[in-house]
Amino acid sequence: MADPDAYVALITSLPRHEELFVAKQPPLSRLRLEMRLKALSVEDAATLATLEHCLSWPAYGLETTEAEAFARGRAALDAVPQPELRSILRDRLQMRTLIAALRRRKAGGGPPPAQWGFGGIARRIAANWQEPAFGLERPYPWLSEAAGLLERGDALGFERLVLTESRAITRRRAEGHYFDFIAVAAYVLIWNIHDRWARANAAAAARRFHALADAALGARTDIFAER
Amino acid sequence: MNELVLALGWLGIYSPVALGACGSAIGCAIAGQAAIGAMVETEGGYGRFVGMSALPSTMVIYGIVIMFSLNRAVTPENAGALFGIGFMAGIAFFVTGVWQGRACASAVNAAKEKPEIFGLSLAPAAIIEGFAVFAFVFALVISGGIQ
Repeated sequence: MADPDAYVALITSLPRHEELFVAKQPPLSRLRLEMRLKALSVEDAATLATLEHCLSWPAYGLETTEAEAFARGRAALDAVPQPELRSILRDRLQMRTLIAALRRRKAGGGPPPAQWGFGGIARRIAANWQEPAFGLERPYPWLSEAAGLLERGDALGFERLVLTESRAITRRRAEGHYFDFIAVAAYVLIWNIHDRWARANAAAAARRFHALADAALGARTDIFAER
Repeated sequence: MNELVLALGWLGIYSPVALGACGSAIGCAIAGQAAIGAMVETEGGYGRFVGMSALPSTMVIYGIVIMFSLNRAVTPENAGALFGIGFMAGIAFFVTGVWQGRACASAVNAAKEKPEIFGLSLAPAAIIEGFAVFAFVFALVISGGIQ
């Protein structure tokens, strides 16, 4: 049995996460987080790296294929020894499967093959392809809202819903763990969610700035040209 | 047979100290690690965190007092009573020491974010202390009846 007090000092050295869409950035920088995480044992650090490698979007390149993503997820599910962390991983990969199916349908694609995605829900998705939430509203209450947001093209609302649900899954599965590795891993996974929101905001701001700059300077394309 | 009974009597006399010391050591270690972690993150109030982490040390003090109240010549007639009272009191001090340490660690974790809840966050640890006091007081009361 894992020591429930293994990482007391590490957990208390981590600042609390603020509300997700209120905080402008994560409670501490990645550099400081990495410094604190040096207290992890070699095995726990490897497990955390596996989790992050599978769940963190920056770990996926543009050239990553669907088959590679599936293989990475399945390898991670096999490699993580803690049942609670495997549950987090499985739930979040199932969530990604459902979101990928929504996007696939919106893009005009057909139903997925039987072995597609995670959690053995591909058959039900394919069987209910034209249903708004693939007939899976009961086990996944957020899915109807997500389908509606995607249909309306509300990308911001969709992103907020996905991040909120991802954080809820992580918190729910790590409940009852206060000072052990599961608490540390849950903290880092939630940190990644906050970081993604902060980065998304920065990217949106940059895009908007460029759009405004282009609009303002559109008629003056030769602004830096020598007279 | 008598030797075993006498040995259990001596075990009962020393158990409150030994188990109380173990409970205090583990509890203080857990709460102390929490205090150290909080000191890394905060800019002040270190003394309060260290003070919180020392709360489980009372378990060994209760154990010492119980040991003195039980300490007497061990005979086949009183050995069972010494063992029962001493050993069970020791178990109570051990368990409450460990869990009080965890309660203190949680209190440190909460109080570092919101210093205004420092007093309230100590309530669970104080309630656990109350249970240890019950075990202590009633061990003293019934040890008075041992011949």
